[in-house]
Amino acid sequence: MSKGIKIVSGAIVCEECKLRGDVTIGGGTIIHPSASIIAEAGPIIIGENCLIEEQTKIINKAPVGQIDNENVQELIIGSNNVFEVDCAIEAIKIGDNNVFESKSFVGNKVTITNGCIIGAGCRLTEEQTLKENTIIYGENCNMREGLDRPLPQTLQMDTLIRMLPNYHHLKKPNLVNNKKN
Amino acid sequence: MSNYITGPDVVKYACSCGLLKPITRLYFCRHCLELRCGFCVCHEVDSNYCGKCCENLPSAEARLKKNRCGDCYDCPSCKQNLSKRAATVGPKNPEDPKATPRKVYYLLCLNCRWSSRDVGIPDQAAATGSWPERENVHAARLQEIIEMYKGIVLAEKQQKMEKDKKKQRRFMTFTDRTGITASMLRKRIGLPDIPHPLLKPKPKEPEEAVAKEEVEEFPEELLTKPINLNEITTLEQRLNLPEWQPTTVDKLFPIHKQVSVKRSQRCRACEHNVSKPEYSPTSIKFKIQLFAFYHIPEVRIFTVEPLRAGKQCELLLKFSNPTQHQTVITFLPLFPSEDSFASKEIKELVPDEEVPSREIVIEEKQPPSLPGSQPSSLLHTSLSRTPSITVKPRPIKQAITANVELPTSNFVLLPRDDAAEFDDSGDTHNIQDDTKLVVWRKSNKAVIRLNITPLENLNIGDEVVVGFTMQHIYVNTITAVESKEPQRYNNNVKVFQYLGKIVGSE
Repeated sequence: MSKGIKIVSGAIVCEECKLRGDVTIGGGTIIHPSASIIAEAGPIIIGENCLIEEQTKIINKAPVGQIDNENVQELIIGSNNVFEVDCAIEAIKIGDNNVFESKSFVGNKVTITNGCIIGAGCRLTEEQTLKENTIIYGENCNMREGLDRPLPQTLQMDTLIRMLPNYHHLKKPNLVNNKKN
Repeated sequence: MSNYITGPDVVKYACSCGLLKPITRLYFCRHCLELRCGFCVCHEVDSNYCGKCCENLPSAEARLKKNRCGDCYDCPSCKQNLSKRAATVGPKNPEDPKATPRKVYYLLCLNCRWSSRDVGIPDQAAATGSWPERENVHAARLQEIIEMYKGIVLAEKQQKMEKDKKKQRRFMTFTDRTGITASMLRKRIGLPDIPHPLLKPKPKEPEEAVAKEEVEEFPEELLTKPINLNEITTLEQRLNLPEWQPTTVDKLFPIHKQVSVKRSQRCRACEHNVSKPEYSPTSIKFKIQLFAFYHIPEVRIFTVEPLRAGKQCELLLKFSNPTQHQTVITFLPLFPSEDSFASKEIKELVPDEEVPSREIVIEEKQPPSLPGSQPSSLLHTSLSRTPSITVKPRPIKQAITANVELPTSNFVLLPRDDAAEFDDSGDTHNIQDDTKLVVWRKSNKAVIRLNITPLENLNIGDEVVVGFTMQHIYVNTITAVESKEPQRYNNNVKVFQYLGKIVGSE
């Protein structure tokens, strides 16, 4: 395992996923094989109990022509986020309890707060900050406000925590969860 | 096949109504041997059903429910199906230790995550039905008006009936002889006059709508308050709920799902069905499916040389025979200058042709829809009905921008054999092909070569369209009463190819 990758105990990180650069993965987070997390412009910190499915691409990408070593921008992703199959995330900052549905795209000028849902195939490219509980859906990226945050995928996560170690090699956690101690 | 769904339609067939359509969009009526498209068949509603719960609705019930399903709902926000979701909540009286958690149901849209909780619809204890219905504020008034119109219709009908009755009267009644009517008699005895049972009082007219002069005050806040677009409904959302037309999202309520119909298509000329689906809403099969794709040889563009104005180039077309019978394809000009002459020529030509299947008797096609035409064996007395409409062929409005050198020889297409694909024995057909015409052949397919010349006056970028009449032998498998043998006909289909654009000269 290359240095710079920190996996807190309790996280399930499959061996076949691609981690590059300074990546920190919180406890209880599940990363499927063939997901890629690339810390190109700065470190990526992923919170607890996130679900990162196959073909997800989370990239910390600096805006074009702004790569400098002095001004390191880190991408902080909160807890209980779900990244569904083949979504591409280059956001500035992501809060808690968000859902990124399949094949969605979030550009590198977007800040996402809490409880947002980016619908399947929706593309967010313009500079913006999504308010809490915003739902983006449909072909034309219609926007509406949800009543509350989407429910966490507890059942699915529990099954995955049980099943994934049976069929995949896992990366060993190298950090002990400080909170519990 | 995929090309027919996604790609541009490069080969089109002329329907008998003059429209050009890809073969997948056409029907072939085998009673009048004509291509029919969706615009020239009668559409009939077979059954109403809900697309979500797949339940059949009798048409009377569907009308009563305003063509909507009673159980299924659409999302008022994005028009997708709403699904029922179960959630567990605490027992009604938390003090009771024995009480078990209850299951409640709410509606959720999986596309935009709209839920019935968003607008404050209480969760339901039962999964089906029992969702609160909203009453239209104008329901009473609408009902009144509907009833008035119903009354008017009834009154008009009765008036008409009375008139007819008066005309029909051919015999003497007792009152006619005596000159005393029943009502006169009643008056004389001193009984009250009973109204005629059929002559109901005039339908009650509802109160007239009155125009108001005072309107609501203009709300100042429309100008002062910033608009939150998340709270305002879109025009589409408003029009989905025509009875309420809510302006804010908190008044969006689930819409009963509109029912779909299964329809059958009927040839307008001979009144035979060209397409009839199975009745059951869960079935996607057909009882009758006379799609042109299964009867008319399919033409595909194989390759075409670069197109240059006035220069001859080669066009390779692939023909495939979808039927179980061998066919012979002959090329004829698209618009025969003298229609009758051309068809006469074919008549003479066909028997002398070097057609492998020599014995077949080819009859000139005589559409039964033409009244007064000579009786032919095609007119199966048992099957054909009197035509309701004589559909006249309409002109085809498609400019032809290239000349095609029609080959004088014809070629054979073998019957379709589904097992041929798995047959390794190779092509063992012994067909004497005109090597100038047929380039390649395998099982029921053949590629032929045509020489085309785009017109001189075309500019670079102009679309090149060629067309010809494809004559093929169609074997009608409808068993006639008189003759058990399947009938063979020469069927002419006009085929157009859109070859692409003119490119610059070398």
